[in-house]
Formats: sequence, structure tokens, C-alpha cells
Amino acid sequence: MNLHRHPALVDKLAASYALGTLRGGARRRFESLAREHASVRAAALIWQGRIASVAELQPEVAPSPAVWTRIENRLQAERQAQAMQAARSAPAPAAPAGRWWASLGLWRGAAAAGVFATVVALVGGVSLNSRLSGQVRELSARLSATPAIEYVAVLSDEKASASILVTFDPNTRKLMLKRVGDFREQPDKSLELWALPPGAPAKSLGVMSGDAVVQLTAADSDIRQSPALAITLEPKGGVPPGTPATGPVVFKGALIKTPE
Amino acid sequence: MGGLARTGNICQTMRGMKPESPDSQLIALLERVAQADESALRELYGLTASKLYGVAVRVVGNRQWAEDVLQEAFLNIWKVAGTYQATLSPPLAWMGLLVRSRGLDFLRRRASDRADHVQALDDVIADTVAGDAPNPMDTTQASEQAWALHQCLSQLEHKQREAVSLAYLRDLSHSELAVQLRLPLGTVKTWIRRGLEQLRGCMARFA
Repeated sequence: MNLHRHPALVDKLAASYALGTLRGGARRRFESLAREHASVRAAALIWQGRIASVAELQPEVAPSPAVWTRIENRLQAERQAQAMQAARSAPAPAAPAGRWWASLGLWRGAAAAGVFATVVALVGGVSLNSRLSGQVRELSARLSATPAIEYVAVLSDEKASASILVTFDPNTRKLMLKRVGDFREQPDKSLELWALPPGAPAKSLGVMSGDAVVQLTAADSDIRQSPALAITLEPKGGVPPGTPATGPVVFKGALIKTPE
Repeated sequence: MGGLARTGNICQTMRGMKPESPDSQLIALLERVAQADESALRELYGLTASKLYGVAVRVVGNRQWAEDVLQEAFLNIWKVAGTYQATLSPPLAWMGLLVRSRGLDFLRRRASDRADHVQALDDVIADTVAGDAPNPMDTTQASEQAWALHQCLSQLEHKQREAVSLAYLRDLSHSELAVQLRLPLGTVKTWIRRGLEQLRGCMARFA
């Protein structure tokens, strides 16, 4: 029997289909019929629309005011999570050297992860409310100002009495060097930093000024290929570009990739 | 919506009683919510939360669960408001669908969490079975389509109306409905069949 030629029967089936009481094989047969015949499909859609209005006729009940508060908190948490993601994926802005070293404790892999964990804890907390949003914003800003440090090295002299801390941020290609200890070269000398790629001659990464904090720019590949760094004592201004080191190695150390 | 018939006694009554449709207001709010406007969501919540909470209570049969459902539904509305325009449904009906589907998800999760799940006789069902505490339909904010359905459902006996409503709201088969209502399967089948027959005859006048 060509069911779709019997509009009254189709209408009846469409009504129980929409209500949900048409089940099993009967439901599947009706569905395939609806796929084949537009008139059956139309009847199904009309009844779905009609029956869906049952929801509009239910008596109103006032929900507890806490529901809206919970919705608001969840929206806020989502917003913060998005902001955090954006902050983490955006390249870290170059921070002024002094301030940056003042926040050495924010090294990635250690404290920066801690900041993030704190933010996550705050965001995820059930009692999160608008009072906290200022703190979250502040932490988020701190995180975005934290360089994405991928490499760290501690270059020491033979007695390990003085050293130079080195960090590298591949996003900004900034190599930061901080003197720790009291080593001071003579006024007519300069310290020069070298990458030590295996099986290749040392490559100069730049000459340090006498400042406590020195910033150099280095190619990502030079750093990645170098398991260790060294600093030599050279004539003032360093060796001419492309020439090997002439002076003694005063500091050296392994270059360590920070955990992701 | 203007396509609904304006003739016949029922429609005359409709014209006299039906308040101004708030659909356009809700649609405008949904459009703003789709643009991630949180103040619009708040306004939308203020206008519809009681109605939608009423739906959630009827679907899950427990006020506390219904609050969770309402919360999830509004977070969902926040995400999918942009898809409303493609539906051609009255806004409140569309939101009601989202609430119902969240509520059904909730019941399914709960049922699978508890293998020995026995549906308690909830307040909604208790009312239905008692039958003499009529659960009034509420046409506040109802779309024209819902108003038509209201007219037709009003012609059913209270218990039949409840059986039809619950079958839909809780997505129940005849036998599941019989278990929940604690009624013989035959009775439930008869109620649903008669209820749908009357609805079909009545709704045809609005087509």
C-alpha cells in the first residue's frame, strides 16, 4: 500500500512520530517514507512544530536566584579561559630588562606554570565571583608579560665561584645574560659569548657590555643546535666577526631546554 | 506566523484574549546573544527563566535537578543562539526544545549512573495520577502556535492531556509512560490514541 497516498493515515503517523510514541520498526518505516516523500516530510515537520509547543504551555516556576549566579560565573570562567589561551599563544612582549630580571622567579616551566595553575584554580573555583575578576586579570597580564623561555644555561667558571645566567626566548629571539657573582673583566677586555655546536667551530653570539644584564639577539637555529655555551675573555669589543676565539674560556655550561 | 488561520470560533476567541506576542522581543534578544552580548542573555533569562524552569521541572520531575538543567540549557543557548534563525520556530518553543533535550540528557546520564534506577514517584507524576489537581496550562508568552495547541489540548480531559504532555516532554514510550503513571498499558495507549485523534481534528482548523 502506498502509505503516502493516504493523507489521514500519514497525518496520524506524523502526530505520533512527533509525540515520540511511534517506536521501533514503525518509526523507522515512517522515517524512510518521509525521506522519500516531501508530503510525508512536511506532515512530520508540522507536527514536530505543534508538539514542541507543549513546552510553551507548562506552568511557570521561579528558579532559585542562585541559578543565574552560576550561569554568570560559568560565562566569566569561560571568558577568562579564553583570555588565558590568547595570552599564552600570543608572542610575549619584550619587557624592560630590569623589570624582567626582577621577576626571575617567573621562569617558564617553574613559576610561570605556577601562575597559570593559580589562575586556573581561581577560574575553576566554585566560589568565583566578580570580586576575583580583578585578580584574575592581573595574573593574566603577568603571565602574558612573562617571556616564553625555552632554554636556560648557567655558565660557571672553574671554581663555580661566579657565573652567568643565560635564557633564550625563541619568540623574541632574545638572549638574556645576567652576571651573578663579582667577576669583572679589565677595562681593556670584553666577554664574548659562543655557541658550541657539535662537530663545528664555535660561533660567536655577541659581545657582552659591562652591564649587569645584557641582551643579545640570536638565531633560533644557533641555540637549538648548541648543547653548550661558553664565554671567552677577548680584547675590548671582541674578535673580528667570523674569526675564532683568541682568549681563555672563563665561563661555560650546558644549555638546557626547559620542559614544555 | 501570520499564516495561521484567522477564521473560526476558536480564532475569534484567540483574537480577543491573546496578549501581544512577545516573540519579536525574544528574537531580538537571541540575535544579540548570538553576538556574545551578555546583558542580552541576562534579559532573556529574566523573561524566560520561570517558563523554562517550569519545563525543566516537568521533564526531570525534581526541582534541584531542574535547576542544573536550566543552567546547562542557558549556557547552551549562549553558545548556539546563532543557529536560532535557521529554525523557523517560535523563540520560546526553540528554547523549550533545548531545555527538554538537556533534561533528557540529564535523565539518561542519571539512569546509566544507577543500574538499579527506579523512577521515584515524582511530584509531577503524583499530580497526574491524582488527576483532581489540574495542572493549569499557562499561555504567558505563548506563541500563536502554542496558543492553538493550548486551545486543542484544553478540549482533552486533564489526565489525557497530562499523558500526552509527559509522553513528549520525557520522551516516553507507551510502556514507559504506563510504568511512570502506574497505569495499565492499555489505558495509556487509549489515552494517547484518543488524545492525538482529538488534537489532529482540532489542530487541522489552525493549519
